[in-house]
Amino acid sequence: MKFAIETNGLSKSYGQVRAVDSVNLRVGPGEIYGFIGLNGAGKTTTIRALLGMIRPSVGSVKVLGQAVGPNGHGPWRQVGHLVERPAAYPELTVRENLEIARRLHGISDKSATSHVIERLGLASYADRKAGTLSTGNFQRLGLARALLHAPELLILDEPANGLDPAGVVEIRELLAGLAHEKGVTVFMSSHILTEVDRLATRIGIIHEGRLIEELEAEKLEEIRSRRLEIKARNLQAAQSALTQAGFAVKTSESTLVLREARALDAPDEVATLLVNAGTPPTRLAVEQEDLEEYFLRLTGEKE
Amino acid sequence: MNAFLAALWAETLKARRSKITLLTAVGFLLLPFAGGLFMIILKNPAQARAMGLISTKAQLTAGVADWPSFFGMLSQGIAAGGAILFALITAWVFGREFSDHTAKELLALPTPRWVIVGAKFVLTALWILGLTLLIFVVGLGIGTAVDIPGWSLELEWTSFWSVLVTALLTFMLMPFVALFASSGRGYLPPLGWTILALVFANIVSLLGWGDWFPWAIPVLVSGMVKSHADQVGLHSYLVVLVAFFVGVAATFAWWQSADQAR
Repeated sequence: MKFAIETNGLSKSYGQVRAVDSVNLRVGPGEIYGFIGLNGAGKTTTIRALLGMIRPSVGSVKVLGQAVGPNGHGPWRQVGHLVERPAAYPELTVRENLEIARRLHGISDKSATSHVIERLGLASYADRKAGTLSTGNFQRLGLARALLHAPELLILDEPANGLDPAGVVEIRELLAGLAHEKGVTVFMSSHILTEVDRLATRIGIIHEGRLIEELEAEKLEEIRSRRLEIKARNLQAAQSALTQAGFAVKTSESTLVLREARALDAPDEVATLLVNAGTPPTRLAVEQEDLEEYFLRLTGEKE
Repeated sequence: MNAFLAALWAETLKARRSKITLLTAVGFLLLPFAGGLFMIILKNPAQARAMGLISTKAQLTAGVADWPSFFGMLSQGIAAGGAILFALITAWVFGREFSDHTAKELLALPTPRWVIVGAKFVLTALWILGLTLLIFVVGLGIGTAVDIPGWSLELEWTSFWSVLVTALLTFMLMPFVALFASSGRGYLPPLGWTILALVFANIVSLLGWGDWFPWAIPVLVSGMVKSHADQVGLHSYLVVLVAFFVGVAATFAWWQSADQAR
């Protein structure tokens, strides 16, 4: 299978610091790959290596089947990117910034600039200097540059940064549309894990430079831990009744938590037990951990 | 060629939209205006004193009010002032990409990095050439208005080439400024380098080895240091040429291969 992104034993060290350690990434065509990690985990270093901006200390990088070198060689005509915060020439207008990108991408179609301005909702800012844009519109300009040449592969570092809630939804729909309708591969890092959760078809978790988990979105659904959360007016009595019935009860703030399968599979029996003990539940719900909780548990940032 | 023209168009647009274009032009225009003022003073020191243009204590022993002196001032101004002003231009052309964090947008493009760097060097050269022609033409106008004696067409051509050679030699030292702006990722390292190079140029010239030190040679060629002017020979032009090629090659190599981790 030809991967859109393939790294083999990718490592990058700065002096004694191992920023990225033996990362083997495989991103298939048309996938939306969510790349998540804490600050300093190695997300941006990996992205820079994918774009040939840094030379790997060890290992290799292939993008769209082509080896990426530190000397600028790569399939850049087919790749759109946004690395860290977007950048633009502040004294140039939005249109001029994109016009520079259009020419440097060798796009002969002059309407490409206007088209992407419309698409990213920048029409009313087209003739405004980039230096005067709001953070959200500056982000849109960075995304417009990444999308300008209708690339096959998008490598985006925090694409939702600085966008308002409506903008986040709009960009999510735009990226999902590109992947589903045009088969564009999207590799995105994000710290907004709910966004990754909603959008990604596959997720990679990087921690302290190592890719510690890589899984399909459906698989994530299966392995996320579930718990039965119980609230009652008399929490102590409820806890006592459950313990007497043989449940291992944990207390979290003003909630009792059960993780055993017999509780998760039959919450109605737990409710009956509590009613019979004279301490009926005021709330009883099976909760599934979200990506954020799963991520924090995996990286040891939360028990 | 299309990629190069696209890169040059982009660089030119950035320069056109920047205030630094106007500021460097205005700054460099001080040179012919100052030259014109000196000519007025040298033509008639007593009247200049009476008008308050100079202090009554001023000693005006150097120079006479004629075209060779005026053109000499322009040439010397380019060698001394150009070393700083051209360095400002070069530092801006290269360093701004780091100051504005736009360098990362130039690295993964179908247009090769060397083409972009080449376009930056060509823009710098054209900018410097434009400024040199501007002050020469304005200088001719000011000289005519001040009515400096001793003009001839032959003198004008000789002086024109002398000014151009001084500007060319000064420009040929700029790739090192570009290298420091790139590897130092901003404006301060190239400007620090420029000051350091000028200090060393002075010291080396005082020691009598200026004709071998690239950063001292434009000043010597311009005739600013008359006692050392005759030291300049073919070897001097060669060391400037070597400095030019080393600076250009190092800048290209840096953009091509260095880690761009910021």
